Amino acid sequence: MADINIVAATPVIIVAGTSVVTLSLGLVPWRRVRLYGPLLAAGTALIAAMVMSGVLWGDRQLAFDGNIRADRFSLLLNFVFLIAALAVIMFSWREPASVDRRGEWPSLVLASTAGMMLVAGSGDLITLFLGIELLSVALYALCAIEVWRERSLESGLKYLIVGAVGSAFFLYGLAMLFGATGSLKFSEIGREISQQSLANEPFLLAAIALIVVGLGFKASAAPFHMWTPDVYEGAPTGITAFMSTGTKAAAIAAFLLIFQGILPGVEGDWQAAIITIAVASIVVGNIAALVQRNLKRLLAYSSIAQAGYLLIGIATGTIAGAEATLYYLFAYLAMTLAAFAVVLIRERQVPDGERLESLSGYWRTSPLLAVVMTIAMLSLAGFPPLSGFVGKFLLFGSAVDADLAWLAVVGAIGSVVSVVYYLRVVGVIWFGQTDPEREERRLGPVTGATVVGVTSALAAIALTFATNPILDVCRGAAESLLAP
Amino acid sequence: MILAPFVAALFVIALPPQIGVLPVRAMAMVGALVALAANCYILAGFDRDGAELQFVDTQEWATQVGLEWNVGVDGIAIWLVLLTTVLFTLAIIATILRPPSREPQFLMLLLMGETALLGLFTANNLVLFYVFWEAMLIPFAFMIGIWGNEDRREALMRFVVYTMVGSLVMLVAVVGTAFVARDVTGQFTYEIQALRAVDFTETQSTLLFAGFALAFAIKLPLWPFHGWLPRAYGAAPLLVTALLAAVMSKAAVYGLLRVGVPVFPEGADNFTIPLLTLAVIGIVYGSVVAWRQDSMRMLIGYSSLAHLGFIVLGIMAFDVIGGQGAVLQMVNHGIVVAASFAIVAVISRAANREMIDSVSGLSAVAPRMAYVFLLVAMAALAIPGSNAFVGEFFILTGTFRWHVWAASLATIGIVYAAIYMLRLYQDSFMGPLRATGRATDAELTVKDAIYMAPLVLAMLFIAFYPAALVGATEASIKRAVAPAQIAADRPPEDIAEPVVPNPPPAVQPLPGDEPDLTAEDAGAPR
Repeated sequence: MADINIVAATPVIIVAGTSVVTLSLGLVPWRRVRLYGPLLAAGTALIAAMVMSGVLWGDRQLAFDGNIRADRFSLLLNFVFLIAALAVIMFSWREPASVDRRGEWPSLVLASTAGMMLVAGSGDLITLFLGIELLSVALYALCAIEVWRERSLESGLKYLIVGAVGSAFFLYGLAMLFGATGSLKFSEIGREISQQSLANEPFLLAAIALIVVGLGFKASAAPFHMWTPDVYEGAPTGITAFMSTGTKAAAIAAFLLIFQGILPGVEGDWQAAIITIAVASIVVGNIAALVQRNLKRLLAYSSIAQAGYLLIGIATGTIAGAEATLYYLFAYLAMTLAAFAVVLIRERQVPDGERLESLSGYWRTSPLLAVVMTIAMLSLAGFPPLSGFVGKFLLFGSAVDADLAWLAVVGAIGSVVSVVYYLRVVGVIWFGQTDPEREERRLGPVTGATVVGVTSALAAIALTFATNPILDVCRGAAESLLAP
Repeated sequence: MILAPFVAALFVIALPPQIGVLPVRAMAMVGALVALAANCYILAGFDRDGAELQFVDTQEWATQVGLEWNVGVDGIAIWLVLLTTVLFTLAIIATILRPPSREPQFLMLLLMGETALLGLFTANNLVLFYVFWEAMLIPFAFMIGIWGNEDRREALMRFVVYTMVGSLVMLVAVVGTAFVARDVTGQFTYEIQALRAVDFTETQSTLLFAGFALAFAIKLPLWPFHGWLPRAYGAAPLLVTALLAAVMSKAAVYGLLRVGVPVFPEGADNFTIPLLTLAVIGIVYGSVVAWRQDSMRMLIGYSSLAHLGFIVLGIMAFDVIGGQGAVLQMVNHGIVVAASFAIVAVISRAANREMIDSVSGLSAVAPRMAYVFLLVAMAALAIPGSNAFVGEFFILTGTFRWHVWAASLATIGIVYAAIYMLRLYQDSFMGPLRATGRATDAELTVKDAIYMAPLVLAMLFIAFYPAALVGATEASIKRAVAPAQIAADRPPEDIAEPVVPNPPPAVQPLPGDEPDLTAEDAGAPR
C-alpha cells in the first residue's frame, strides 16, 4: 500500500525543489535577479524548511511508503544541516567565487543539504544511499567550483576519488546487510536481526565492517581521513565549513541510524569497530594538528579529532551516548562555524589569510572577531564553561557509564593535547606582534561572515546555559531513534 | 543572592569598548561595588554559628548528568568571598588611578577574574567548582600575556601548562568521584555536601584525594610544584602578581579545605605526612630563597610561597584551631601580600626595575611610606600584636598538638621572615639616601593612599579583633575536619564533632528550607 503522506517529506522537498529554482534563477536575463535572486531564494527555502521541520516536530510520520521518516531524530538533524547551509549562503553573499556562478553555487549547496536531510530521514537502505550520494556528488562539484584555482580543482578531484571509494564500500556494506536480512526497510531489518539471532553471522559482520569503512570516509574518521586536510585546504572556505559541519553531521547521523537505530541487538559485533576508529581519529587528529601552520589544515585535523569524540558517543550504544552525540553535534556546529567564519574573513582581508601568522596580533585590528575566534578555539579545546566542554563532558560521561572508562580517558588525553594547538591560535591572536608590512586589502565582503561568526560564538556560549532544554530535545531524538 | 555579583560583572563585560573610558570605569566600579555590597549584605545576615552552607542558590543546568548551579557560603567561604570582593574592588580602583594601556580590556579581565573566583569560592558542585577553576585561568593568562613584561611568553607558557596539567588531573578526579560515589550509594551527584556523606573505601579515597591534591598543589603552589611561580610572578604586571598571590593561591588552599579534606578524609589522612613535609619544605625554601632575592617583587613572591606553606600546615593538621588559623591566615595573607605588592609598586617608582639595591634611605624623603611599610612588614613577619601573628599562632598551636616536628621546623620560617622583611625595609628605607629615580616619588600620595588605606585598616582590625573572623569559622571548620580526625584515629575527646553518620541525601533537607541552625545543634549530631 503506497502511503504517500507528502507532508512529512516537505522539508526535503522544499530544499530539493528550490535547488532547481535557484539554478534557473541564475539564468534569467536581469542582472539584479541573477546576482541576488538565487541566494535569496536559497535562504528563504532553508528557513522555510526549518519552519516545516519545527511544525512536523512530534511523533514519527512516514512518507512515501516509509522510505522517508520524519521523527524527532531526523528533524533535529535537519536543523544542523539547514543551519550549516544557511551559514554557507551567508558566507557567499557577494563572494567573488559566485559572481558568475550565481545559480550553481546555491543550487549545489541546496542539493547537498537535501542529500543530508535524506540521510537523516531515510527509512530504508536505498534512500540512505541516495542521500549519501546526493550530498557527496554535489560537494565534489562545490569543492572544485573555483575552477581558476588549481588547488580547488585538486581538492574536488581528490574528494571525488576518495569519496567514490568510500561510497563503494558503503554500498557494498548495505548490499551485504540486505543479503543477511532479506529486507531494505530499517524496521524490517531490525526485526529480522532481533528474531533470528544473527549475531556473529559472517554476512552481517562483513556488512558492518564495510559500512563502518564507508561512513568512516564520509565522517573523515581515521584511518580513512587522508583526504581531509588536502580537500579542506583546497576547497573554498565556505564549502570547507559546510563539509566539516554538514557532511560530518550527516555521516554521524548515518552511524547513529544504522548502528543504534537498526543494529542495537548486535552491539557486540560493531562496538569494537567503532571504538577502533574513534580512538584512531582522536590520536591521529590531535597529534597531526600539533604541527599545522595553516588554519584550514589545522581545522581539518581538529575536525578529525572531533569526529573521534562524536564516535565515542555512538560506541557506547546507549541512549545517553546518542543524546550526548547529538548535543555535541550542535556545539560542534556552533564552534566550527565561528572558527571558519573568522578564517574566511581573514582570507578576504589579507592574501595569506589562511596562514596562522596572518592572525598575529589580530585583536588590535579586529577585537570582535578575535573574541569570536577565541571563543571558538576555547570551546573546541573543551574549556569550561563553553559548550564544547559540556559536550565533551557528556560524551565522556556516557562512555564511563557504558563501562568504557578507558575510552573516556583516551578522549580526555586527546583533548589535553588539543589544548596546545587551539591555544596556539589564541596566543597568536592576542600576544602576537602585528606585522606592519602586512598588506591589508579588501578581497571580498565580510558582513555576512561576521554575522555568522558572531552568532555562532554566541550560540557556543548559549548552548551551555540552555543545556537542560536542549538535552531534553536530544533525548527525545535519541529515543525516537530506538523506537521500532 | 550570590548571583548578584556575577550578573553585575557580566554586565561590564558586555559593555562595548568604543564608548570611551569613563563609562567603562564607572561600570567596572559599579560591578565591583555591587559585588561588595551583596557580600556585605550576606555577611550581615550570616549565621555565625552555622556549619551548613547558607544563602544557597540552586538552578537547573543539566540535571540529567548531575550538573547544576549550586552555590552557597559557609563560615570558611564567606571570608574568602569577602577577601575577593574587597581586593578586586581595590585592584579596580588602583587600575583606574594609574591606568595601564588598553584599560577597558584590563578592567574587563579583572572583572572576569573576580567572577571566576567568586564562583569558585561559593561552588557547591564539583563540576561547577571545576568550571570556575578553569575559567579563572583564562583572564589571568590574558593579563599576563598582554600586559606582562618581555619574558611574558615563556612565563605564560609555563603558567598555562602547569595549571592545565593540574586541572586535567582534577577533572579526572571529579568525574571519578561521582562515578565511584554512584557505585557506593547508587546516587549520581556532584554535589559536594552530598559527596561528604559517601563512604569511600580507603583506596578510592586515597587515589581521588591524590588527584585533587595534585591540582591544588600546583596552583598553590606547593614545593616542588612551584616551577611556574617565579616566571609568572616576575613577568606579570605588578597588580596581577598581587592578585595571583593574594587571591588565586587561596583558591587552591580553599579547595583543599572544602573538597579535599572533608570529602576524602581517609585519603587526606594518608597524605598528611607527605603534604606536611612539602609544606614545611615550602616554608623553609620560600623563606630562604626570598632572603636571597634582589628584586622586591620576587622577595614578596617567595615569601608568599612560605606563607602558603603555613596555611597548608594548618589545614593538614586536622585540628580545629589549626584550621581556624588557616582560614584567618588566608585572609591575612591576602591582605598583607596585596599591601606588600602595593608598597613595592610605590617604592619602585624611585627604584630601578624593582631592584632592592637600587634604593636606600627612603625614610628621609618618604616618612609616611616608611610608616606604612613598617606596619605591613610587621604583619608579614607576624610580630605579636599583628594580624598575621594570630593566624600563625593558631596554626602552629594546632599543628604542634599532633605533629611537633612540623611545627618546630615551620618556626624557622618565622625567623627567616623577620630576616628578609627587615632586610627589605633596612635596605630601602634606612641608610644614606640613594635612589635611581627621584627619591621623593616613593612617598605615599593621595592616590596610593586610597587603595592602601583599606588594606592597612583591615590589617589593624583583624589584629585587634580576630574573633570577628575566627568565631564564625569554628562550626564550619569542625564540620570540615571531623571526618579526617576520625580517619586519623584521634582520641575521641579530641574529635571536633561527634561521629556524624550523615543521613542519606534523600532525607536531607532541601536547600533553602533547612531550619536555621542555632548554636545548640550546630555541634550536636544530626
